[in-house]
Amino acid sequence: MSAWEKLTALPREIVLGLVLIAMILPTLKPLGLPLMVGTMAKDWYDTVDALPSGSVVLFDIGFGSGGYPSLGPATIAALHQMFEKDLKIILMATALEGSMMYPLIMNKVKPEENYGAVYGEDYVFLGYIAGGQTAMAGVLGDLHAIVSTEYTGKPIDQIPLLKGVEGAEDISLVAYITTSGDTSEGWVYQAYSAYGKDVVGGMLSMMTTSMKPYYDSGQLKGLLDGVKGAADMEFLTRHPGDAIKSSDVLSFSQTLVLIFIIVGNISYWGVKTSEKEGR
Amino acid sequence: MDARRDIPLVITFLVGVIAVMDYYTTFSAVKETFTVIKNWGVVLNAFALGLGAVNLFRVHGRRISERKRSDWPFSAWLLLMLVIFVLVGLGTGQFDASDQYQWIYNALYLPIGATMYASLCFYMSYGAYKILRARNLDSFLLFVTAIFVVLGNTPLFPALFPPFFHIREWIFKAVVGGAYRGIRIGVGIGAVVLGIRTLIGMETGYLGRR
Repeated sequence: MSAWEKLTALPREIVLGLVLIAMILPTLKPLGLPLMVGTMAKDWYDTVDALPSGSVVLFDIGFGSGGYPSLGPATIAALHQMFEKDLKIILMATALEGSMMYPLIMNKVKPEENYGAVYGEDYVFLGYIAGGQTAMAGVLGDLHAIVSTEYTGKPIDQIPLLKGVEGAEDISLVAYITTSGDTSEGWVYQAYSAYGKDVVGGMLSMMTTSMKPYYDSGQLKGLLDGVKGAADMEFLTRHPGDAIKSSDVLSFSQTLVLIFIIVGNISYWGVKTSEKEGR
Repeated sequence: MDARRDIPLVITFLVGVIAVMDYYTTFSAVKETFTVIKNWGVVLNAFALGLGAVNLFRVHGRRISERKRSDWPFSAWLLLMLVIFVLVGLGTGQFDASDQYQWIYNALYLPIGATMYASLCFYMSYGAYKILRARNLDSFLLFVTAIFVVLGNTPLFPALFPPFFHIREWIFKAVVGGAYRGIRIGVGIGAVVLGIRTLIGMETGYLGRR
C-alpha cells in the first residue's frame, strides 16, 4: 500500500482520536483565541437593547438535554441582557424537556440575586405547553384561555405580570432558542406572519442554513447560531461563560476537520495520479 | 353514508374553515371559537404523550415477556425508569418542578442526552474526511463550499481574516438563501393545495386509509 493510499484511508480510530485530543487540549487549557462577533448575534442584541424598559418578552425554551451544551449558554446570556434591561419576561417551553432546562438556566442567571427581579412580577415560567404551533398560536391568541397555571401550579390569574398580558398585542418581542426546525419556523409563522411581532431566534448551527433566509428577509430580527452565536452573545452582554470557553474547542476541532478534508483530497488525487502513471 | 368516514371529514372541514376565518377576519365569535379549538389541540397533544407512554408499555412489555431478543433488558430498564420518573413526579405533588425529579433528571438523563448529541461531532468529522472528496465537478463545488463555510464558521478564522466571514455570509445569502426560498415556496404551495384538498375531503390519508 502506497503512502497516498494509507493517507486516503486513515483508520477511524486515528481520526476520531485526534478529534478527541483537539477537543480535550483547549478544554484543559483554554487559550483565549480571538473571536469576531457576527452580525446575526449583534442584531439579536440590538433588537433587545432597543426595547423600552418594562416591555414584555415571550421567551421559549425549546430544547432539552441534548441541546443544552450548545444552546444553554446562549439562553443564559440572552436572559442576562433582558434582566439587565429590566424587561418583563414570560418564559415557556415548547420542548418537553424545556421545563427541566429552566432551573438549570435560572441557577446560572440568578435573577433575584443579580438583578433584584421578583418571580411573578418581573418574570414567570409557564412550563411545558404541548402542541407545537398550536401552543404558540394559543399563547399569542389568548394566553389566559390556553394556560391556567404556571410552572409550580399557581393559577396565572394570581401572577401580577400576567394580569396585563392577554396575548400578542401585549407582547413586544418573541424570543426562542430551540433544537427543533418546526419550532423555529413555527414562531416565524405564528408570531411574525400572524401578528407582525418582532422575533429573534436561536438554534443549533446545523439549522442556520434553513433559518438564515428568514433572518435575511427581516422575519427574524436576530439569530444566534449554536455555540458561536452563544459566544458572541456572551461577549456582547459581558457575561463570559461556557460558550466563550467552548470557542477554543470549536476552533481546534474544526481546524482539524478542515485539515482532514484537505488531506483526504490531496491523498485521493495522489492515488489517482499514481494509478495513471502506473498504467 | 359512512359515518366513520364522513363525521371526521365534517369535523376537519369545520375546524379548517374556522382556522382560516380566524386568520383573515376579526369576528369575535370566530376568535373565541378558534381559541377553544386551540385549547382542545393543546389538550389532545398532551393526551397523545400519555398514549405514547401506554404504547411504550405495550411494545416493551411484550419484548420483556417474550425474551426473544437479546436486548430485552434495555426494555426492562426503559420501563423501570419510566415508572420511577412518574412515581417521583406524582409522589412529590410538584411533578417536574420538584427537587427530587430534577435531581434524577440532572444526574441521569442530562449527561446521557448531552453525550448522545455530542457524539455526532465524531461521526461528522469522520464523514467529512471520507465523503468530501472532489471526485467530479459537483463534488468539487460541494468541497469548495464546505471549506469556505467551515472557515467562516470556525471562530478563529474570521477573527484573523474577516473576509472569511463575509464569504460565508455570501454563500448563505446568495446561494443557500436562493435555493432554500425556492424550496420553501414550493413546499408552501404544496401545503396550501394539501390544505384545500383536506378541507374539501379529497385527502383522507389522515383518516388512516387511502
